[in-house]
Amino acid sequence: MNEQRKDILDMLAAGKITVDEAEQLIAALERDQPLVATLPEARPKGKPKYLRVLVDTLEAGEPGRVNVRVPLQLLRAGVKLVALIPPQALQHANAEMHKSGVPFDLTQLKPEQLEALIEHLDEMTVDVDQPDAKVRVFCE
Amino acid sequence: MMPQLLTVRVDRRHRRPVRLWIPVLPVALILAPLLVLALLGGIIACLIFRISVPRTLGTGWRVVSALPGTRVDIKDGHTAFLVSIR
Repeated sequence: MNEQRKDILDMLAAGKITVDEAEQLIAALERDQPLVATLPEARPKGKPKYLRVLVDTLEAGEPGRVNVRVPLQLLRAGVKLVALIPPQALQHANAEMHKSGVPFDLTQLKPEQLEALIEHLDEMTVDVDQPDAKVRVFCE
Repeated sequence: MMPQLLTVRVDRRHRRPVRLWIPVLPVALILAPLLVLALLGGIIACLIFRISVPRTLGTGWRVVSALPGTRVDIKDGHTAFLVSIR
């Protein structure tokens, strides 16, 4: 039972509306529902294929725009490259990062975890809105 | 699928815009001798750093074949730069 139908029945139980009015409201609700199902937002979306980064800036009156589209497949393939990095290179990178004040252990970064991260990227949207800059990151 | 066409466009103020359409396969065939040398260099580097050669080749091919659809479009004032891979 959807939320609106429950609200109507609650109103009927509370005596706020009559049985006839409840029937009319439920009938109207059923008439509206097929319409809602045809709206683009209600349709199941296809699987996104691209990661899109849009940046609009305004510096010294000059507009700037960055529009980058990266296939998610490329990100997945890039993640596979992580598995090829030799362990000694990761240790060097860890030591340098530690020296720079970033205590991050790259050896703990597993390709499976990165793949899971990319799989869930399609649900992510980042919107940054400032007077002189606008950034949008999303999947399409 | 392997990339087929690389488009590069550079627009600058008071200059003629540069537009290049580069067909990847013919260019790759022309540069085949250099590509073979680069491939050999890569294989030697893999052996030196003890990285699996078949895995590296497979991953490299996967990266190349995932490139179509990539588009980088940067515009700053009167300068614009576009790279598109199809």
